[in-house]
Amino acid sequence: MAMKIGSEPFKERIDNGIHDDFMRGAVAGAQDGMGVKRRLATEELGNWEDWRSHGEEIRQHVLEHLDYYLEQLSENVAKRGGHVFFAETKEEANDYIRGIVQQKNAKKIVKSKSMVTEEISLNAVLEQEGCEVIETDLGEYILQVDDHDPPSHIVVPALHKNKDQIRDVFTKKLGYNKTSKPEELAWHAREMLRQEYLTADIGITGCNFAVAETGSFSLVTNEGNADLVTALPKTQITVMGMERLVPTFEEMEVLVSLLTRSAVGQKLTSYITVLTGPKEELDVDGPEEFHLVILDNGRSNILGGEFQSVLQCIRCAACINVCPVYRHVGGHSYGSIYSGPIGAVLSPLLGGYDEYKELPYASTLCGACTEVCPVKIPLHNLLHKHREIIVEKEGKAPISEKLAMKAFGLGAASPILYKLGSKLAPTAMNPFTVGDRISKGPGPLKSWTDIREFPAPNKERFRDWFKNREKGDK
Amino acid sequence: MKVTLFATCLVDLFHSNVGKATVELLERLGCKIDFPEAQICCGQPAYNSGYTKGSKEAMRQMINTFQEAEYVVSPSGSCAFMLKEYPHIFKGDPVWESKAKELAEKTYELTQFIVDVLQVEDVGAIFEETVTYHTSCHMTRLLGVKEAPMILLNHVKGLKFTELPGKEQCCGFGGTFSVKMAQISEQMVDEKVCHVEETEADYLIGADAGCLMNIGGRIERKGKPIKVLHIAEVLNSH
Amino acid sequence: MIMTGTIQNREKFLNQLASRLERPRNSSPVERPTWKFRPQDEVLKNASQDELLEVLEEQCKKIHTSFYKTDRKNLSDTLNKVVANYGGGPIVTWKDERFSEWGLDSLFKQEWPSQNIDVYEWEHTKGVENIAKAENANVGITISEITLAESGTVVLISDENKGRTVSFLPATYIALVPKSTLVPRMTQAAQKLQEIYNRTGHVASCINFITGPSNSADIELNLVVGVHGPVKASYIVINDL
Repeated sequence: MAMKIGSEPFKERIDNGIHDDFMRGAVAGAQDGMGVKRRLATEELGNWEDWRSHGEEIRQHVLEHLDYYLEQLSENVAKRGGHVFFAETKEEANDYIRGIVQQKNAKKIVKSKSMVTEEISLNAVLEQEGCEVIETDLGEYILQVDDHDPPSHIVVPALHKNKDQIRDVFTKKLGYNKTSKPEELAWHAREMLRQEYLTADIGITGCNFAVAETGSFSLVTNEGNADLVTALPKTQITVMGMERLVPTFEEMEVLVSLLTRSAVGQKLTSYITVLTGPKEELDVDGPEEFHLVILDNGRSNILGGEFQSVLQCIRCAACINVCPVYRHVGGHSYGSIYSGPIGAVLSPLLGGYDEYKELPYASTLCGACTEVCPVKIPLHNLLHKHREIIVEKEGKAPISEKLAMKAFGLGAASPILYKLGSKLAPTAMNPFTVGDRISKGPGPLKSWTDIREFPAPNKERFRDWFKNREKGDK
Repeated sequence: MKVTLFATCLVDLFHSNVGKATVELLERLGCKIDFPEAQICCGQPAYNSGYTKGSKEAMRQMINTFQEAEYVVSPSGSCAFMLKEYPHIFKGDPVWESKAKELAEKTYELTQFIVDVLQVEDVGAIFEETVTYHTSCHMTRLLGVKEAPMILLNHVKGLKFTELPGKEQCCGFGGTFSVKMAQISEQMVDEKVCHVEETEADYLIGADAGCLMNIGGRIERKGKPIKVLHIAEVLNSH
Repeated sequence: MIMTGTIQNREKFLNQLASRLERPRNSSPVERPTWKFRPQDEVLKNASQDELLEVLEEQCKKIHTSFYKTDRKNLSDTLNKVVANYGGGPIVTWKDERFSEWGLDSLFKQEWPSQNIDVYEWEHTKGVENIAKAENANVGITISEITLAESGTVVLISDENKGRTVSFLPATYIALVPKSTLVPRMTQAAQKLQEIYNRTGHVASCINFITGPSNSADIELNLVVGVHGPVKASYIVINDL
């Protein structure tokens, strides 16, 4: 699965989302529940704004010195016997990983949840090699068993499914014969997956934060699946987006704290694992061979430009959990594995405007995303920046809109034109006006009046009232 | 105190009552109101849609219009915030950046002006109704005005306040979003209307004409018996 | 002796980054800045060990973890009871001298075997047999090296005698927590790890921050405790001060 999901046009995706009642209920419930948890977890600190500022300064510093820290990281991974591969494109990353699979003659691969491997369609590549690829995060596992249904949320990938749907999928695909109780479903997945960990040839993970100074990297989960993926198979491959690193343990700690509170409202998740290199000589568990793939895949084009701050992202999904647009359309509507506000900023940068030109407009610029971002990415400003580029550089705005905006620009800058237009407005709107409202508006007003009333223009403009009143005073 | 009113185009064209209430309210609080005729629109509809270059002329028009003003006060958090954005928009412009900054610094949203500058918390209003209040996103998050409207409403005699569930959620207006993404906007405003109904309030109060046009328009279309008022109108009831 | 790994494709990749940042490659070491903000130091600042212990106990309720306080004299009894609550053996433990220092020899080597409770001590020379033992165990027992009061987290540092899977594969998990290991939060743990690295130039291949049992909210956001790792967890705090 690549970054792009689905092939329907934007409007159709939106329509599907809006009419998926279960998904909408689930998303609204998740937003309300996780919103409260996140708020409590951040407010109890008493100085959350300082935490955000600290997160921001760490991320900005790393991005400004990214070449240095990546060099340091790679040196330290190699010192510990790990192999580092810098991949400029997803093809390079996949080719390298395919090479390892062939060399190891691997048949079975277990994975812990990783957005970046989704981004490069790694599973499809591995399956083409004849490997059995098993996702071990419960949510990802459910989606995989259901014929590779795409994730709809970067933290809770199967959010759009209810437990009855999951039971049906398990019954059909895994011979499951119990109820739709989450405990029983989860237990079944546990039993199925236990054997997979023990017999897998390769474990593949993403990376929450790499630590440049020690060549370490951290994995954050609640299930403990990443620990089994990295403890049992003989070969481990970790794929990281090139920006996901920090200088030392001390910065890692801060970002992990920001992540867990913002993502799931927990002080820390159940398992935070810091791994360095392959296992040591006398260790029993842990991989004998460790590969780190550092991926660019379009990220370097963002670096040094006006969207650089989006690379501060730590993938907590707090912005998704507060977004009023995501709330009603769900993750699949974005047509990208990266959904919500962060997806609407990131997807056009990584996947191009042709594919994702609508996403920056799928926002009211209400700023809820920016307000919660733990590393202070000005998400709504970046959405606005995209719009500017789409209009002014890419010329991708619809002609009718360009004309309307041109007219607006003229009218709003010229008192004479404004006077003419606004004086004429009541007369012009007269045919559409009933009482003090317009129920069936013409042109661009139609989209408005399809769902709501529009006020009729004042017979006496405010400015006329003010002027007459001043005259009366005199 | 001399106050220069930035009425906003929505108020000028569609909601003159809000403008009238703002004038009367401020006069009652001892201000002398000036309304420069050359003001039109802050440029936000075009700017937010990505037409930055196309909206700059409108912004310059506004900057010139308010050059002499001591305080610029607007009954809209969103439009007031737009004026505060001007310095960023004209950043690096040798002529306009400093002028933009001057305007931004003397611009206030109405309730913010009353509480912070006039230092008045009780405007002596009487409004014997049950109301709920919609906190507009731009006013609260971008302009950062959260307390002032609540302080003023709390002092209105007879007013019974019920909190709006999900108040921090956008109503789905978003300027051109409301027509460009009408499908989504409809879902958002519907949820907002449901929440307003849950409060069982007779009046929905807000401080931004855009949001009120959106929510009010949907309330009217659905035939709900809820009346919509701008906070200036409530504060001017006595 | 560890073989040095390989690095491929690096120069072109990093040169591209430098060029995007509009400067030459950063070759001299970047100094870690003095950060403007340090909110992490404020959490539980100046709290005593006893206060931290209270915080830990309270936090355990939120992370579905049973909490016990004991001293060296009563440790053996407490541990025996907690294991019995979990349904007995088989048990797998680290190979760690501290068990013996804390007077657990007779429990491990006599009492439990006499009750037919199998106790297996991690032994790296036996290779993968260790993993089979851990996989079949009902209880895994390890020791917390650093304990975070705020989050209720035990920190485990792996080596050849301290297998990673002792805390993951068994059905239930018990952490022995010396009271002296209590610190306010992850900040102090990161500082300790940093200090160890500065001193030895070495980092353990696996450092685990474990906060209660395994869980998931992936199905309709219902919390399910016990997914891939242990289903139940207990912390036994030993007053060693």
